[in-house]
Amino acid sequence: MPEFSRSLAAVALLALAGPARPADPLHARIDKHIAAGYGANAKQVAPRSGDDEFLRRAYLDLIGTTPTVAELNEFLADSAKDKRAKLVDKLLASPGHARRMAWHFDVMLMERGADAKVPRAAWEAYLLAAFTENKPYDVLVRELLSADGADPKTRPAAKFFLDRNLEPHAVTKDIGRIFLGRNMQCAQCHDHPTIDDYKQADYYGIQAFLNRSFLFPNANAPAAVIAEKAEGDVSFMSVFDKNKKLNSTAPRMPGGKPVEEPKAEKGKEYKVAPAKDVKPVPTHSRRERLAGAVTSTENKAFARNIVNRMWAMMMGRGIVHPVDLDHGNNPPSHPELLNELAAEFVAHKYDLRWLVREIALSDSYQRSSESRPGLDDPSADRYLVAIMKPLTAEQFAYAAMQATGHTDAERAALGAKGTEQQLDALLAPRMGPFRGMLGRGVDPTADAFTATLDQTLFVKYGSAVRTLLTPRAGNLTDRLNKITNPDAVADELFAAVLSRRPTADERKDVADALKTTTDRGKTINELVWALVASAEFRFNH
Amino acid sequence: MIPPPRAIFDPTTARVERELKHARPLIGCRFDPSGRFLFVSAEDDSVQRFDLLTGAKTSLAGHDSWVRAMAFVAPAAAPAPLDSVAWQQVRAASQALVGFGAAVLPAPKPVPFTLVTADYHGKLIWWQGDSDAPKPLKTVAAHDGYARAVAVSPDGTTVASCGNDQKVKLWKAADGSAIRTLDGHESHVYNLAFHPDGTRLVSCDLKGVVKDWNLKTGKSARDLDAKVLTKYDPTFMADIGGARGMAFKYDGTAFAVCGITNVSNAFAGVGNPLAVVFDWDSGKAKSFKPKDAFQGTMWGVHFHPGGAVIGAGGGGQGRVWFWKGDDPASIHTLNVPTNARDLALSTDGARFAVAGANGTAYVYNFTGVGGPPPTPPKK
Amino acid sequence: MLPCNYACNTADHATTRRAFLGAGLGATAALGADGFANPVHAAELKKAQKRVLVIFLEGGVSQLETWDPKPNTDTGGPFKSIATSVPGTRVCELLPLAAKQMHRIALVRSLNSQTDDHGVGHNVMLTGRKMEPGIVYPHLGAVAARLLNSNANALPGHIRIVPKGGSGFNGADATFLGPKFASVGLGDGKPPADLFRPANLTPTEDEQRDAFRKRLDERFAKSRKSAATDAYTESFTQAERVVKQAEVFDISKEPEKVADKYGRHDFGRHMLLARRLLEAGVTYVKVSHSNYDTHHENFDFHIEQLAEFDKPFSALLDDLADRGMLDSTLVVVMSEMGRTPKINDRYGRDHWGRAWSVALAGAGIKGGAVVGKTNATGTAVTGREVWTGHLFHTYLQAVGLDSTKNFYPNERPVPIADPKTAAISEVLA
Repeated sequence: MPEFSRSLAAVALLALAGPARPADPLHARIDKHIAAGYGANAKQVAPRSGDDEFLRRAYLDLIGTTPTVAELNEFLADSAKDKRAKLVDKLLASPGHARRMAWHFDVMLMERGADAKVPRAAWEAYLLAAFTENKPYDVLVRELLSADGADPKTRPAAKFFLDRNLEPHAVTKDIGRIFLGRNMQCAQCHDHPTIDDYKQADYYGIQAFLNRSFLFPNANAPAAVIAEKAEGDVSFMSVFDKNKKLNSTAPRMPGGKPVEEPKAEKGKEYKVAPAKDVKPVPTHSRRERLAGAVTSTENKAFARNIVNRMWAMMMGRGIVHPVDLDHGNNPPSHPELLNELAAEFVAHKYDLRWLVREIALSDSYQRSSESRPGLDDPSADRYLVAIMKPLTAEQFAYAAMQATGHTDAERAALGAKGTEQQLDALLAPRMGPFRGMLGRGVDPTADAFTATLDQTLFVKYGSAVRTLLTPRAGNLTDRLNKITNPDAVADELFAAVLSRRPTADERKDVADALKTTTDRGKTINELVWALVASAEFRFNH
Repeated sequence: MIPPPRAIFDPTTARVERELKHARPLIGCRFDPSGRFLFVSAEDDSVQRFDLLTGAKTSLAGHDSWVRAMAFVAPAAAPAPLDSVAWQQVRAASQALVGFGAAVLPAPKPVPFTLVTADYHGKLIWWQGDSDAPKPLKTVAAHDGYARAVAVSPDGTTVASCGNDQKVKLWKAADGSAIRTLDGHESHVYNLAFHPDGTRLVSCDLKGVVKDWNLKTGKSARDLDAKVLTKYDPTFMADIGGARGMAFKYDGTAFAVCGITNVSNAFAGVGNPLAVVFDWDSGKAKSFKPKDAFQGTMWGVHFHPGGAVIGAGGGGQGRVWFWKGDDPASIHTLNVPTNARDLALSTDGARFAVAGANGTAYVYNFTGVGGPPPTPPKK
Repeated sequence: MLPCNYACNTADHATTRRAFLGAGLGATAALGADGFANPVHAAELKKAQKRVLVIFLEGGVSQLETWDPKPNTDTGGPFKSIATSVPGTRVCELLPLAAKQMHRIALVRSLNSQTDDHGVGHNVMLTGRKMEPGIVYPHLGAVAARLLNSNANALPGHIRIVPKGGSGFNGADATFLGPKFASVGLGDGKPPADLFRPANLTPTEDEQRDAFRKRLDERFAKSRKSAATDAYTESFTQAERVVKQAEVFDISKEPEKVADKYGRHDFGRHMLLARRLLEAGVTYVKVSHSNYDTHHENFDFHIEQLAEFDKPFSALLDDLADRGMLDSTLVVVMSEMGRTPKINDRYGRDHWGRAWSVALAGAGIKGGAVVGKTNATGTAVTGREVWTGHLFHTYLQAVGLDSTKNFYPNERPVPIADPKTAAISEVLA
């Protein structure tokens, strides 16, 4: 078929789709929904971000680090109209995007708990592979919720269960929170006192998928796998119930129908019967139904939760916020947008990269984080101004290594043939202390940023930051030491650390500092530190 | 029928001859020099005397704390021991002849001896050990804290004691008056023993430092190293070790200390029993271990006149181990149904006894008869 | 991690939206003006700064070898009891120096903590509650730091000195009170990493670079400002104040004679450090002494450990009294449990929570008081049984706090101390 007729056929197909005409791309529809929510504040909407602001933001959000000076200069010099879209596509296609998503999903799924039965390296490799191939989200979650840890090939996927020791309340609570956006912890003991939507029966409906499962041979064994019995039901009683009525439920998703359970013939309940030191295999597995029930299109909360979480990752705030309190008393800020995102995400086969791309291309994402004068107290849920997001521990580590030129020096040392993977391996040991310090004690679902004393001391005096400032061939302090013109020093400094040009005031500050110093090397070191320790660096603005 | 005495010492002939019961857990045990009595000490602060000839049990009251140390001052040459088993049979026979209610065969008078005991309040008590109802003859406040061991010099003139005040002290056996204090240990002194020639005394402390005291000068002639029996457990931040038992070979060519080694968890007593045998002249040490893996402490060690080393101990259950020659692994093991907290060996080597944590003293002989046959130790 | 709605202006008052939405109680909840209803009462704040020192004998100390001896009984073990400075009150001979302090000490000999487990015992002793699903209660240290902390003090309000390991912030012990009141752990008394200015950074350089950072932050805040960015920039100011007091963590500043009094061993050093910290205004210090989990050779090990405890403990009471701090400092000697009266076959004592003792001294405590009794062999409480909750009320009331009030995490009232229990009035002055 000639080229011409093939495209005609494509058009015809689209036209046949009827009411679902080729609508605007999703990012344009996002902007319509967000704009509709501006209301009386429309005049206070921040302008589009500057190119430098957008560049830093996109780098941090999409590949978890900041641009090199060369990348900054190239982008600023580019006059193409579609350069932002091109940049987004370039970043999404780069290995750095899989790394960033692996970081994000690690924290989302494991919440920085201690590694136990599945080693960190295997888990990270699993996530990295999943995001490198852009594995559809429903497929990923089915793997996470169905792996039993017995097959070494799929054991990393079982980390969600294994590292929670399959503790019934921990996994029930976290399935609700992490995959359904519903923190039903209080429903463990009674219907939620302030949230009408969270019922005790919903909580135990989830638990019923897992109540027959246990760790084999025992929970303490490092190589434990998930095994299951053929019998046992959940029972629960409200602590408020004076009659102490004992209830039970079949496995089901919140608000959904109980899964149909085939009755096993008496005596044939097991494929492998339980015995001492034998892992039993029931004829009918409740746990195997879990992954299907969670990811079923009938379970609307599944897609709704993840699009909201990805939105929050990009925009700094969930449409449902906090992201794990999706219920009637905490309505979404933009309900139609949330519905549309969820529906489109399902229609696009749970393609996370597509979803992130659409959000990144929206004007709403690309808004400046600078408030217009007079707008002192922007209502965050209106997205009038881009929300400043504190860098995660991983982002901060990578950004600090990039800003101080450590990454440049390592890349140069690897030579032209070096791969991104080799570079990550070189940077990994230095990332450890940042992860340990800035990731520690952080409740990933808390909506308040805290800077604890030790974290600040870590930035102030800690060796992890300090050693990045020591001159080394090709790193920032080395480069700055070789520049004589004070303005050029300021330009390189601000470009490398803050991904922007210095203002006239800032150039003057740098020049003054260099003019009066008796030890130029030390002063340069101080300047680099000041920029790395600044709030501007600490946040993705 | 009593089998004829065996020419060669054979530990496999060890049998429980009798079980001597007390209401409270036992701590220590010793045979008097004649072998007629077994003295045991218990967690009720008492010392109990069992007459092996008659079966009579006599309580010695006078201590206010636990006693683990007992030693005897006796005439230089102890008379040959009575064969208590044979005597019991003779007596039984005589009873059978004359019938119950008739006068039984009176037991022979025991050989006189003095008993010296020491308690965990640092007190020494002298007793007339053979009297019908022994009473404290002399009490000496010897140590600040535990007095962990006493020993009597081979000539019967001197009593040595040691304790948690890190001191070794010498006393006149005759009247309990102080002779001399031997200073030098830097931790709790756990045990001591006189060299058979009477010129030297060895003592061992918690940290495994063995001092060889020249009794003429009162100075330590040398330090020997039994540190294999000690450990600072970094998890619990405490020291464990010391010589729980100590004994000289009859000819003075060697001495042994015993305790616990390889400690991985001091507070659960996870370690292995060990005896360390020092060659007297060279000071070189050899380790004697149980052949099978066993966790616990070796609480007592003795040299059998027949040429074997006997150790006893436990942790949960009890064991008696036998070593022969230079073989560092035990050649024979007996199971004891309770933690064996001390080991006593009669002077002639005919009997040994262990002090059970269950309140029972188990007396063994080497006749190969009597009592149940030894069960092989569990793997 | 999502930034706070800036409507609340400062991080300190960042009443999170989460707090209104009924998230699990495990979440951090800010306790603003409407949190702890008119917190602590102005009158209480006006009183002298109160402090709390907990000496925690790790592993479970034997009550029979310390505060409730039963000599010459089946369970008594080999030790004797000795007279104390309080006629009629006797303690184990292993505490000769503490015995001379008994007029300053109140004993509770009838604690039933209802658990024989290390982890649970540690938790119930420090939270004054049974563990419950669905809520994790803050430790005494976090509660004390929250309710007693003077805002004038930049030092952390909640410090744990532990025998070993590294030093660091963010103990998981403040729960809903928030990370500000979480403990700072000092392993082997070492100060936290990064507290001291690196040797190759002079004070002038440090000031210069910080001034440059401040200028950047001020410019940035002109058009970009949020509670989160404020919290970050403010944290540098706070860090600077702590750095200026870093010497507090350095016991080499103490005279030799004082160090001798406390004893030249780890626990002696740790107790001396505790006194320095309390003196510098730290609200709550917990010093752990390891270890008492004596399943084997209970008696030998208690000799060793209690000798190490007795001297610095007594020195510290004297030192606090000499400095006029004893009246305002509550001192508690506790453990996660006691030990079985029954002596096992390895001369050990095992885990035991049913009838054991805690000692208190200092602020608000009636010295010389002895509350509660156990039977002749120590196997049961025979009079005035108390639970950990009674003690928790007692600690707080001893330092002048109303322990019957509530915290309000997530707008739900959570009683500060277990409402099923009340303070032990007999030990309160």
